[in-house]
Amino acid sequence: MDLFLEMFSYDFLLRHALYASVIIGFVCPLVGVYLVLRRLVFLGVALPQISAAGIAFAYLMHTLGIHLYPHQEEEQLMALTGSVLFVVIALVILASLGQGRGLVEGRVGVAYAAAAAGSILFVAANPYGESTLLALLRGEVLGMSLSQFWATVCIYSGIALGTLLFQKEFTFVSFDREMAITLGKNVMAWDFCLYVIIGLAIAFGVMTVGPLLIFGFLVVPPLAARQITKGMWPFLLISSLIGGLTALVGFYLSLRWDLPLGPTDVAVACVILGITAAGKAIIARFGR
Amino acid sequence: MSGSPETLVRLTDASVGYNGAAVLEQMNLEIRRGSFVALLGPNGSGKSTLMKAIVGILPVLTGKLEYPSGTPRFGYVPQRDTLDPVYPLTAFEVVLMGTYGSIRPFSVVKRALRARAMQALRDARAEPLAGRLFADLSGGERQRVLIARALATDPECLVLDEPVAGIDQPTTEAIIQLATALNRNGMTILLVSHHLATLRGRVDEVVWIAGRKVVGGPAAAMLSTDKLAEMLISEKI
Repeated sequence: MDLFLEMFSYDFLLRHALYASVIIGFVCPLVGVYLVLRRLVFLGVALPQISAAGIAFAYLMHTLGIHLYPHQEEEQLMALTGSVLFVVIALVILASLGQGRGLVEGRVGVAYAAAAAGSILFVAANPYGESTLLALLRGEVLGMSLSQFWATVCIYSGIALGTLLFQKEFTFVSFDREMAITLGKNVMAWDFCLYVIIGLAIAFGVMTVGPLLIFGFLVVPPLAARQITKGMWPFLLISSLIGGLTALVGFYLSLRWDLPLGPTDVAVACVILGITAAGKAIIARFGR
Repeated sequence: MSGSPETLVRLTDASVGYNGAAVLEQMNLEIRRGSFVALLGPNGSGKSTLMKAIVGILPVLTGKLEYPSGTPRFGYVPQRDTLDPVYPLTAFEVVLMGTYGSIRPFSVVKRALRARAMQALRDARAEPLAGRLFADLSGGERQRVLIARALATDPECLVLDEPVAGIDQPTTEAIIQLATALNRNGMTILLVSHHLATLRGRVDEVVWIAGRKVVGGPAAAMLSTDKLAEMLISEKI
């Protein structure tokens, strides 16, 4: 208990890492809800991997002497640019190929395989900075700087605001595109907005906490919340709450038993999913 | 069907289809304001395609689609199986979507629009379903909710795509009665169905769709034994 309280004290050394992972935990499920509802869960696996490939590619460019930014800000900004660029390009390509049934999973699967292979090959081709790069690909939230922390706060506040403000539009065009068209909604524009928000959440999140945890935060809390909620607002808010709670409990357990943060958080989220699924099954079996 | 000053929708030499490939060609069709029109035809003949073109979901490939008295407000009722049950939406939330045409982004749904959605649920005799999960409803209950959502758009023309497919006879009768009552109050009804017996005596006009062609006329003539035989033969050809 002392350790738990210490996590919230001002002189706790890892407080920025704690706050950042909790913020990401709260916000990613708000975005992941739409991956689950649109049955694009596999995209939630592929995009973080594509983002990681973008980071590895940017580092390779840096090593090969291709510089886009002032030297003192080079590494982080190059990595961020690579991450965002790869995710946005992948989303544009996947969206433009359409969502016709049958082949969509195949396309996402190919994108995932290509990104996973690319990440490894870009790292293998990079003779310098392999440990730094591998740390970035894993997502070293514990080593977060103050500027990274504030960037995370600003970006994820914007993402949360976007998903909550446009909740009814995103839900409407996802649930019934045809009806939305008859009411004059520009479904392509709303799809684009949603994909940009998903892309940003993943690209920045992978830089901060790594692909595994981003996928866990995107998908597992909405799946858990889906078991116990009725209505779109409760679904969004409970998903977010589960994500934030997962991040907090995971951070504590990671600190308490010296466990790696990402896998600990994902394990906690899976336990919560198991509890909600079991609770729903028990209620269905024995009645309310 | 002859033209009149009350024409709501007019198709002239129109072809409609998907990805540039025509499903129906060279159609000429007029839908009058206040009429009750049934679109009939075999599975896969293009009834839903025509309906989607009329409401603007699909573009017309060649020819013209016109709304002589301005674009009408359509209340569209899709086939209920096209809506994914994974969404944890309540029936009321689904109906509320019918009001989204009059709401700008960033805006909250005002009390008046919520009241309109609730009234639409009452009109469709689906008020007790408001708080239940849409995914948990039976086929007939979902259909009522989708009709309520279409009514919440405050439509001039209610467009129903196979509203009674796979639904038991009492619910089918109730849905057709509801459409008839709305039509008596002046609403234009456009309905896709296979149920000839249920529609007989209810609809004003019938449009037969078969073999990529569209033939329309008054219900009495189009549902006569001779005409039915003619259409069934042309379908086989």
